[in-house]
Amino acid sequence: MESRFHQELEELRMMILQMAALTERALQKALQALLERNMQLADEVVESDQEINLLEVNVDRQSLRLLALDQPMARDLRFIVGCMRIAVDLERIADQAVNIAQRAQFLSSRPPLPPHPAMEQLGEVAADMLRTVLHAFVNENSEQAMEVCQMDDTADDLNVRILKDLLEYIGKDVPSVEQSVQTIIAARCLERVADQTTNIAESVIFINKGVNIKHHCQQ
Amino acid sequence: MSALVKMTAKHLDFYYGDFHALKDISLDFLLHQVTALIGPSGCGKSTFLRCLNRMNDLIPTGRVAGEVILDGENINDPRLDVVTLRRRVGMVFQKPNPFPKTIFENVAYGLRVNGVKDRDFIANRVERSLHQAALWDEVSDRLHRSALSLSGGQQQRLCIARALAVEPEVLLMDEPASALDPIASQKIEELITTLKADYTIVIVTHNMQQAARVSDHTAFFYMGRLIEVDVTETLFTKPKLRQTEDYITGRFG
Repeated sequence: MESRFHQELEELRMMILQMAALTERALQKALQALLERNMQLADEVVESDQEINLLEVNVDRQSLRLLALDQPMARDLRFIVGCMRIAVDLERIADQAVNIAQRAQFLSSRPPLPPHPAMEQLGEVAADMLRTVLHAFVNENSEQAMEVCQMDDTADDLNVRILKDLLEYIGKDVPSVEQSVQTIIAARCLERVADQTTNIAESVIFINKGVNIKHHCQQ
Repeated sequence: MSALVKMTAKHLDFYYGDFHALKDISLDFLLHQVTALIGPSGCGKSTFLRCLNRMNDLIPTGRVAGEVILDGENINDPRLDVVTLRRRVGMVFQKPNPFPKTIFENVAYGLRVNGVKDRDFIANRVERSLHQAALWDEVSDRLHRSALSLSGGQQQRLCIARALAVEPEVLLMDEPASALDPIASQKIEELITTLKADYTIVIVTHNMQQAARVSDHTAFFYMGRLIEVDVTETLFTKPKLRQTEDYITGRFG
């Protein structure tokens, strides 16, 4: 029979999964709002953020309670610490989605810039990383988490390319400078999503293997 | 392990009649370190502890095989004087067991049975032992009252002082805090941390958090076997074996 403590750990896992599902949906909507100039989707992202914030608070409360009352050990301890970190990263990703949605709201009200294929690619990479890391968390799969860490470079490269191209474009088309800056900010947000997703991948590896690969400090 | 080994069990087996209670245990105890023995009831950890100062000699059906080496000498050697061994390897039990004598006489007891007669020497040693056991401040004005007037936690520290008075090198503790309230238990834990500067300590405990707090190394026993031993922090955060993991996370059986 599963103990009360292990049932509560399962509840913690469910909270993270719920938070992850909402965050993933927020990111998808924000991307769609940005790429398709969809004001309504952007509004939905901004509205949904509070639910994710509340879940983060609940994860914190449940984790702290389990740490204090059950003094967990080994994998259970790593799982709780890992969940606390993952909740922080998910909440930040959701904040990035809100930021992207706000850029989308602005950009939808202005004449469009010429399409930039790297923007869509960057969105796909960030969304793919998030999807993959959540699979890694659910399936306790460290190899999959490691793949996510390796995808981060692609996101960085795409962000740099967008930045360079748009800086160049600003020189050519001064009246659209504001749209360019807002797009640069949106790209930067997606690049941060990739970073925070990498953090989650590191937490998954910590939970599974007990090693800390953050900042290449493998022990 | 680079630290000095004070005591070692080598391929140790113990039998209660036909029952094979300890199976091929090999374990080092490092000088001035605390080693905790953990495991479910009946796993052999207390039997093993009692092998370390031959307390199991008192069990008529008991039989030991293998070696326990203390500073290079096999303590199971029949020529070895058991009284000397138990002076060098002291023991503190689960329930405080003071003698129905005064506080002073409890601590002086070991010295007296060892033939010490010098009154000043005994008085000094009693005071020092009570200081070491963090009890002096509480009893210095009533040394000649009955030890039975002390609280449970004080009685246990008195038993520790009694064990220390004969200047042992190794201190064996069999669940020394399990019969005490949390405050008294915390005092014993702090005492263990202080005492390891002078003694090599082996502690059996059912309380895994306590093992995690007080020990440098932890050994996990199950069904008479030593399953895993490691640095305490590693054993409790990242054990190597599934069996250890299942036990310390409460997923056992």
